[in-house]
Amino acid sequence: MTKIDLLTAAPWLKPILRSRLFQPVLMLATLAFFVMVILTGLFGTPAGNRNFGIVFVWIVWWALLMIIMVPFMGRIWCTMCPIPAPGEWLQRRGIVKRTSGKLSTLRWRFPKRFRNMWLQNIGFLGVAIFSAIILTHPDVTAFVLLGFILTGIVLSILYENRVFCRYVCPVGGFIGLYSMMAPLEVRVKDPSVCVTHTPKDCIIGNEQGYGCPWMLYPGGMQRNTYCGMCMECVKTCTQNNIVINVRSIGSDLTVAKERRLDEAYKAFIMLGCAILYSAVLLGPWGWMKDWASMESVANWLIYAAGFLFINLVVLPGAFALTTGLTRRLSKQTLSTRELFTHYAYVLVPLGLAAWIAFSFGFALVNGSYALVVLSDPFGFGWDLFGTRDTAWQPVGTTLIPFLQTGILTAGLLFAINTAYKIAAQYSQTHRQAFIATLPVTGFMTMVTFILLGLYLG
Amino acid sequence: MGRETLARIALACIVIGLPLAAYGYETQLRDAHNNVIEIQASVSEQGGFSPDVVRIAVDTEITLRFSSTDVTHGIAIGPGWDINVGHVDPGKVEEITLTFDEPGTYTYYCTTFCSADHWRMRGVITVYDPENPDYVPPPYRDPVMFKLVEEGVNIDAVHTGDAMQDMELVFTREPSLENGEQLAASVTIPAEIQEQDWRRTHTPLGALHLLERANPDQSQADLIDVVLYLWTPTQSLPQAESYYNSNCTACHGQYGGGDGPISGITAENPVAFNDLGYMFQMRGDVLYAKLRRGGMGTDMPNFGTLLTPEETWLVVDYLWTLPTRSDEPSNPASIIP
Repeated sequence: MTKIDLLTAAPWLKPILRSRLFQPVLMLATLAFFVMVILTGLFGTPAGNRNFGIVFVWIVWWALLMIIMVPFMGRIWCTMCPIPAPGEWLQRRGIVKRTSGKLSTLRWRFPKRFRNMWLQNIGFLGVAIFSAIILTHPDVTAFVLLGFILTGIVLSILYENRVFCRYVCPVGGFIGLYSMMAPLEVRVKDPSVCVTHTPKDCIIGNEQGYGCPWMLYPGGMQRNTYCGMCMECVKTCTQNNIVINVRSIGSDLTVAKERRLDEAYKAFIMLGCAILYSAVLLGPWGWMKDWASMESVANWLIYAAGFLFINLVVLPGAFALTTGLTRRLSKQTLSTRELFTHYAYVLVPLGLAAWIAFSFGFALVNGSYALVVLSDPFGFGWDLFGTRDTAWQPVGTTLIPFLQTGILTAGLLFAINTAYKIAAQYSQTHRQAFIATLPVTGFMTMVTFILLGLYLG
Repeated sequence: MGRETLARIALACIVIGLPLAAYGYETQLRDAHNNVIEIQASVSEQGGFSPDVVRIAVDTEITLRFSSTDVTHGIAIGPGWDINVGHVDPGKVEEITLTFDEPGTYTYYCTTFCSADHWRMRGVITVYDPENPDYVPPPYRDPVMFKLVEEGVNIDAVHTGDAMQDMELVFTREPSLENGEQLAASVTIPAEIQEQDWRRTHTPLGALHLLERANPDQSQADLIDVVLYLWTPTQSLPQAESYYNSNCTACHGQYGGGDGPISGITAENPVAFNDLGYMFQMRGDVLYAKLRRGGMGTDMPNFGTLLTPEETWLVVDYLWTLPTRSDEPSNPASIIP
């Protein structure tokens, strides 16, 4: 598919993105939403389905994120996310204006061994094992989000730029991984222009904007994974070399040179969590919900241990055996560990499909709560828009299983196609690539059947 | 004014203004109603009502706003007010505005079986006279209760009333209200049995004894039908059924089988009101007293703080309908085929 540069196709877009108001306006809007989440979480009703914080974070926002934003626009949420905003504004000593001088931080150097996704993996698992509590207790949701914002501020004081977003944010990690699927990318038009343009405004910044807060060099960017779509490079590039392309879906998955084990594990964790969340939150096993909800600490510990074991050992272990089989059957020359890392990226489309299917499952069923909490965000009995007494109304319940089946099937087919493309990168012949694809295809088909079993009962 | 300044104002509005606006709106709403009291309901194991004591002045309009933090509760206020606020779903607010016109003590309580300790979900409204705030209304001296005390009746014991211990009660067939009604027109019914006050203070077994003496040719089975007919209210009792369903079914079962959802965890097995053998040995005033005072050591709560004496009698009357409910086969434990 030929890429379409939106900045050329829609010229009106460029002035908007180049405006210093662009990101702050979005952030202020989401910050208002965020403040309401915190307020309702701390002072509103503890009944989750009647609390703005729970309904808007874990139903509305999550569904928008997983069904629309990530699949179609990649990291667009990072453009507007309010969590790093206070830290960033403190660093910059301003919200909109381009302040002169360096960022106000202690200029510590972020440890090299943490410059990867491992902290995000640990953070996500840490949140995930408490998810049944976080997702149902407004006050816990509020404290978790406050914890994120506080961590963002502290890291902004210690380090330059968005260290929190790039290396720590548990949400940013999986958004980055799945943004590889998105049909939208920020890239440079001609990398050779960047090579010869020595001032590197996109890195150090200029009077129009800051150097890339995500610590990227746009000229070398081949994947969406770490680009937060803040559009600073659109502002700072004096060579008019930044483009925002509409492209074919999942084209980052075949970029071989940047594949890493931390990202591979992120793919396993996300897929494992999709399966386990589906079982715990949507499944018929009450005891599992009780264990996850910490009804007794001993049972929760068993649940947490099982959760981590499945995510970190069972799934990767099974996949390692699969890639070992791939190596044996196809006689590919890479080591099993290398193959494990490369082929793990096939789980990105499958995992994203699983999350979309999972999100449809609860968003359509529970979306009507949004009307209630819009009018009565705290559960105090307000009726701001006359929708307080809206009855709970599941939508499209007969359609959901078909949607989930279609999405998972599409995800599986896309993943198999990706597996073949990856196999082809390390195979001499079509036959060798085809054989290499088979074990991975079997693994993914099995996972798909497990997910279908959970969704369709 | 520069863009930066505008952005900072917007930030201040969000971080400071939004909480203040929410607080102000809530305060304004509360002020719109004088004396608004927020009462949060949680299952008893989590604390029940909060607050569980409300003190208000007599003749003062008050709005009680009930919300639930966990499961669906039902709210009613008694005794004597017949106020049913209805179901309060988690996170929803149900409110009622009322004025108490005389000092006293009232109870708000849960009417929906919400947990094993559901019956503990009660709160007290103390209505005081501002001119004499320390005045405590004297406790209600229930004449029925006092008469039982004077009579030396132990309401926790099984009662045979009129020294009928030697009388053998044998149910040889399913009792029939219809048969009882037909026979009542032909058999001799002693005058005292025809009086409601007598029936309330004597057992059906005692009445059966009197009937047997007055009608020596009738079979006991037929006379049991007559007694049952005399004890069973002829009119439907929807209010009493509602009280029973709200307050009694959790232990005693919807049809009085003693098999409610928590019957297995009470200190003693709940009484089966559909057991004719039990009911024939039970006085109405004793049932009344048990209802109002509660059962010692049995987990039977007191309902004297929830129901007026009249409402209590209605429930007692309703209990007599349980052995012969047409929608549920009676289960007289003492039937000998």
